[in-house]
Amino acid sequence: MKKKTIIIIAVIAVAVILISSVVSGYNGLVEKQQELRSAASQIQTQLQRRADLIPNFVNTVKGYSDYEQKTYTAVTEARASVQSADSVEDQAEANEELNRAISIWVNAVTEAYPDLKANEQYLALTDELAGTENRIAVARKDYNDAAKEYNVSVKRFPKNIIAAIFDFDDADYFEAADGADTVPEVSFD
Amino acid sequence: MKKIVSILIMLLIALTLCGCDLTEGYPTPTDRFFVNDFADIISDEDENEIYNDAANLYNKTTAQVVVITVDDLNGEEIADYALNIGREWGVGSEEENNGVVILLSRDDREIYIAVGYGLEGALPDSKTGRIIDRYGISYFSEDEFSQGLVSVSDAIINEVYIEYGLSAEEGYIPINQLPDESEEEDGKDILISWGIMLLIIAIYLIVFRGRGFIWLGGPPFGGRGSFGGGSFGGGSFGGGGFRGGGGSFGGGGAGRGF
Repeated sequence: MKKKTIIIIAVIAVAVILISSVVSGYNGLVEKQQELRSAASQIQTQLQRRADLIPNFVNTVKGYSDYEQKTYTAVTEARASVQSADSVEDQAEANEELNRAISIWVNAVTEAYPDLKANEQYLALTDELAGTENRIAVARKDYNDAAKEYNVSVKRFPKNIIAAIFDFDDADYFEAADGADTVPEVSFD
Repeated sequence: MKKIVSILIMLLIALTLCGCDLTEGYPTPTDRFFVNDFADIISDEDENEIYNDAANLYNKTTAQVVVITVDDLNGEEIADYALNIGREWGVGSEEENNGVVILLSRDDREIYIAVGYGLEGALPDSKTGRIIDRYGISYFSEDEFSQGLVSVSDAIINEVYIEYGLSAEEGYIPINQLPDESEEEDGKDILISWGIMLLIIAIYLIVFRGRGFIWLGGPPFGGRGSFGGGSFGGGSFGGGGFRGGGGSFGGGGAGRGF
């Protein structure tokens, strides 16, 4: 009789410890996942912000008759593909493309119309554009840091067991597959 | 023999201490927090002025405007340097993220103003860039760093006052009310911006009155309008004691080379 009670208590104790560690492990993963999502949405916000800035920019330079239509087409295309990208990786790729297209376009416009540099509205927009570029870079770094932390905890024992049971996938990093290191800087000088 | 050994040990200790210092990424804030003249290019008088104005602003709004000068950036981008130092020092409060870092690198001849999340509305990148253009560049390009930093920080501080619905220092004209250099300002725009300002003040009043925080009745913070007049003649702040509130930055801001 006595032995049985002890066994039952022991089993219950082990179960309680097991369940509570699973719960806390699970909650920890959920928390990391949420942090990751908020970091990802920060990238979204900034990408959207830049997408919204581009038409303003166009309106400002429109007065300058033919505002380098050819280079601008590349910007519109890249902008569309950023917005239609689904996965983090595609988005990163499209973002690099847009960076490149914008810098080529802005340089072309500024070269063609040097007196734009004296236009305060133009200056303001280039500041906003550069600032947004910078925010995207910061959001991207923050996201990648969060993704790294999340991925480590998904893979590390014993949380990897919980992650496998509850289907926590690895997070993608926000980085373009190739050419990421050759991003041209947007220069307004 | 013993002597040599002890000298060697001392040297080793000195070297390791030195090594620690060298590998450290960012400088730690001075005890005056709001002014950190590591490049030693700001005059004492101007340092006091910036310090008093920034401390004043902090006491009234919890916003922190921090001026930092460095010799160089160790090859880092100035925008990253400013952001990282702002995050590391925790400039601004944790709840509002209302910090601003004004960073000038003497050797790189660059200035960058990093704006915390919470102040991006008051200081959008375009306005920040314009503040540097209007108030700073002409000084910086003449190597008058001290004056330029006073003038830029003054503009930033006043824009933050306006954001908080407080009145700016006497004689300060909000940057968006300055006449445009290239275009005539639209009368309608001025009206709208005044309307928005009144609305902000009204909201502020409603919100803070509800908490019994009334400043309409009289000079509430020990004399509004007596800025820089010696009311903070050094002693009142005990020469330090300020530190970051844990604010964060998201990459907002603008910079210029000169």
